[in-house]
Amino acid sequence: MRSPRTLEVWRLGTVNYLKSLKIQDKLVSERKSHQIPDTLLSLEHPPTYTLGKRRTDHNLLIPQSQLTKIGAELHYTQRGGDITFHGPHQAILYPIISLRSIGFGARNYVETLERSMIEFASMYGVRARAGNKCETGVWVGDRKIGAIGVRISCGITCHGLAFNIDPDLNYFEHIVPCGIADKEVTSLRRETDALLPKEEVIHKQLITCFAKAFSYDDVVWKEDPSFILDTKDDG
Amino acid sequence: MALRLLWASRVASHLRISVAQRGFASAVLKDLKYADSHEWVKIEGTKATFGITDHAQDHLGDVVYVELPDVGLTVSQGKSFGAVESVKATSDINSPVSGTVVEVNKELTESPGLVNSSPYDQGWIVKVELSDAGEAEKLMDSDNYSKFCEEEDAKH
Repeated sequence: MRSPRTLEVWRLGTVNYLKSLKIQDKLVSERKSHQIPDTLLSLEHPPTYTLGKRRTDHNLLIPQSQLTKIGAELHYTQRGGDITFHGPHQAILYPIISLRSIGFGARNYVETLERSMIEFASMYGVRARAGNKCETGVWVGDRKIGAIGVRISCGITCHGLAFNIDPDLNYFEHIVPCGIADKEVTSLRRETDALLPKEEVIHKQLITCFAKAFSYDDVVWKEDPSFILDTKDDG
Repeated sequence: MALRLLWASRVASHLRISVAQRGFASAVLKDLKYADSHEWVKIEGTKATFGITDHAQDHLGDVVYVELPDVGLTVSQGKSFGAVESVKATSDINSPVSGTVVEVNKELTESPGLVNSSPYDQGWIVKVELSDAGEAEKLMDSDNYSKFCEEEDAKH
């Protein structure tokens, strides 16, 4: 009989991208040394474009000098995947979990992230599907509603998924999203007629779908985000 | 299943090593050593060649990018030296031995999929000059690695 699995969840509100990277680095290190259990960060970013390890900046369609004019930052990261946009009203989950303790490789992990988002979309009557080969992510028809980009180091995950609740989709006009040229980006707002509750409720639903897909026995909702947001620069 | 054993036998015969019979999917080659982070290593005197195992490539999905180390880099057993990307995930690869990189498989830049189709042969990643031949003792042989994979796969 396997031992019960606990997920600790931090709901952090809007967090600057670089700050979220520092928080994740610290948590990955703590997870590797077994100081913390599997941990999930739930948050949003201010308008931010990010690139993956392959630095596919040819998929940014405006000069970098224009980014401040549209109120956005650009960051290069070590995650997998191509260019993407993060912004208000897009729900982000960054799981910092041990894949070795569940015997998962990258493929199983990503497929389960996709299933979490598909299950979540179905709560609003939206029939989403996993991407075809080379189109990792979650789609409604030919329109992308959820993106994935992760990093796995010594079996511990960071970065994660982004699900469009109701972001300003115009920001996606300035990139070739995920390097896929001929497909649209969409959002929960666009795909459902259902009344959307407060975003806090929506985030909690997405978290619950994640916890269910990854078979956690216990979810611990951490109450004091300042504890984790107070990451010192030298910490 | 039969096709994979046939493939493994051909690879093994090319590398002049023998195949371990396994009850399930991934191929494991005898006479190689294995790390618990799923890298294999072939040691020949003071030199070693390594890559990732069939189990690893199967669990990664289609590899689209391999980040190769520079020749001359010092690598340490158990420490990350590069990464592969598959299914929007970058996964660190750890060195199974310590030493200095003397050659990297440049074919992987144009054809990263060799890691999937030929993980023990054309998909080799790095050759090193060993700094501590004794470290190989810490690695698993094929039987232990097979058991290790079975235990890992039983977790889900």
